[in-house]
Amino acid sequence: MAKVFIYPATSLILSDLVARFNHKPLGAALGIRERIQTAGIDSPPLQITPEEPKRGLKYAAVEVPSGVRGRMAIYGPLIEEAEAAVIVTDADLAFGCMGCARTDELILFSLRQSGIPILELKYPTSDEEGIRFVAAIKKFLTGLPDGGEA
Amino acid sequence: MTKYVFVESPFMTPGELALRAYEVSEGVLIKETCFGLQVTGAPEAVDHLITEIRTFDPNHIFIKDRGFPPGDPRRCRANLGGARPGYLGHEREFRLLRYITRGLEALERGEAVPEAAREKIRGLDIQRLQELIDEES
Amino acid sequence: MSQKVRIAQLSCGPEYSGVQKEIYDAAEAVGAEIFFPDIALADVERAVEGFGLDVRSADLKLMIARGMALVDGKVDADGVFIGTCFRCAEAAIVRNELRRYIPGHSKLPVVSYSFTERTTSGTLLTRMEALTTIARRRALLAREEQTGITMGVDSGSSTTKAVVMKDNEIAGTGWHPTTEVLKSADSAVSDALEMAGVTREDLQAIGTTGYGRFLVGKHLEADLIQEELTVNSKGAVYLADHQHGTSTVIDIGGMDNKAISVIDGIPGTFTMGGICAGASGRFLEMTAKRLGVDITELGPLAMKGLGRNVPMNSYCIVFGTQSLVNALAAGSSREDVAAAACHSVAEQVFEQQLQEIDIKEPVIMVGGTSLIEGLVYAMGQLLQTEVVVPPHSQYIGAVGSALLASGFVKGE
Repeated sequence: MAKVFIYPATSLILSDLVARFNHKPLGAALGIRERIQTAGIDSPPLQITPEEPKRGLKYAAVEVPSGVRGRMAIYGPLIEEAEAAVIVTDADLAFGCMGCARTDELILFSLRQSGIPILELKYPTSDEEGIRFVAAIKKFLTGLPDGGEA
Repeated sequence: MTKYVFVESPFMTPGELALRAYEVSEGVLIKETCFGLQVTGAPEAVDHLITEIRTFDPNHIFIKDRGFPPGDPRRCRANLGGARPGYLGHEREFRLLRYITRGLEALERGEAVPEAAREKIRGLDIQRLQELIDEES
Repeated sequence: MSQKVRIAQLSCGPEYSGVQKEIYDAAEAVGAEIFFPDIALADVERAVEGFGLDVRSADLKLMIARGMALVDGKVDADGVFIGTCFRCAEAAIVRNELRRYIPGHSKLPVVSYSFTERTTSGTLLTRMEALTTIARRRALLAREEQTGITMGVDSGSSTTKAVVMKDNEIAGTGWHPTTEVLKSADSAVSDALEMAGVTREDLQAIGTTGYGRFLVGKHLEADLIQEELTVNSKGAVYLADHQHGTSTVIDIGGMDNKAISVIDGIPGTFTMGGICAGASGRFLEMTAKRLGVDITELGPLAMKGLGRNVPMNSYCIVFGTQSLVNALAAGSSREDVAAAACHSVAEQVFEQQLQEIDIKEPVIMVGGTSLIEGLVYAMGQLLQTEVVVPPHSQYIGAVGSALLASGFVKGE
């Protein structure tokens, strides 16, 4: 089972397909879950404290807006952990954790820089594209180390 | 651990999905929603339930991790006055699920994957452009 | 307990900057509650097209859609808080355009802010308080005449002012540098009372404003404790005798500056800046000290000089002081340096704050710095307009407080 970063990190479709084909999707939910379960922090809603943008300095310089650095504090460690990535390049309406275009650009760049295997594709807009979309993801995931049918 | 279960199926409503899920829930908390379910419990129990749920209608049921447990006051619509931003993202992808379903069905049946039509967008031929300009003037 | 003021939040980034709780806390402290206008994905898609501002970030699209839902009346709110990350250009464009769009198409009061991870509820408090006051206390703010005997105290960061008013006239004033907040207030109050020839017992109502408003308000058992944005707006149009129609109020303070676009005496949009002291009255105080003149002499001195002869343009007080020292060492005249300092402060306020509100004439300058004529002149030059400085402008907060406090006079 490989750890596969999904982009958008909030994607239902990618989260489902990666898990369906027996790999572990790394997405926003994991980062958020980790934080909201941390006891003793009172910073609703996401339990992201002003410390997180400071941790984000590892991924983006101080002149980068705090929202980018705070988001990178969630995604940076997940990207480092990732062994592969599936990217949908036309995810224009992914909100919240994915709602900042600058962060999204930095996430994509970091993934492409990391040297892990990456599949880039677009959302399907027809049955035919749907068939290709699912087939491409299945093929990509099957080809990953430790991948394949369970 | 919480997971979303989305159902976009002609064979099963969220209500029916919930009823069948309850039968195999084994201590996992199930909350019915407008799009399907949220299931919460110990990770192994949730994963076990998810495996079961997927078998109900594999090509029409979709699963996603959720950071928050259901009804968490920090994220609950009742307290925010409006949907959390993630809801709208789900709305966006929900529209596409039928294509994914089609892709899963094709995979199941071993259908050949259609070649992507190679669309080449060519610029307008310069001579044709000249003709068009001449026609207009 | 009266019903909470409902403030719609349009934002990108506060949750991820770790400051959402600060926003909640600031709202709660002034009896307001934050909510997020509920819309559907289709609304977002429509809004992006309808508004015509094609941004990349989805959360900014969401902001636009929520703003439009408020304007269209699909979602009810008493006020709007717009917040985006400091230093984000894309968000700044959306924030500015929404701040213009919402008051332009609805009656909703709007406050906007660009935050960093260091933003605290304390920073947001005055803005939230102004927002809820405008939403909740329109009746109070509608007052145009002072009645009875009332007193207003403005406990500012540099100076504490007190004014006693009687039958719509200023009867006594007091002014002391702020050292110990309560002692300074007591001194200013006793001076004002003495000048007015009245005693504490004669006062029918008291209002306080400024940084020390809560402490002083409690100490004096004030009837009205109110932030300086609404109070100064009210005081400015009252003193300038321009209570109706539009105007712009500029108050360059000791610690921060306020620029308020006023409609019928009520703030429409406003900005409060206080990050860097090079754009504040504090810098002028330092300049006067360095030039060896009293702050009251700085204005006339500046009027005799030419600012453009001295390069000085920094929002940082340290860099500004460096320019000042360098200029003097290079042989610049004291007059030119004084003029350059005035111009520098005016320019910082102009560039950093006045761009964020719609400037409507008349432009009224108030607060202690409005007595520095060199500064007023520089601002007039930048804005290409004749700046109005009403009588008693240095007592603006105290006058506004005394005026509004008369709403609490018994039998009113």
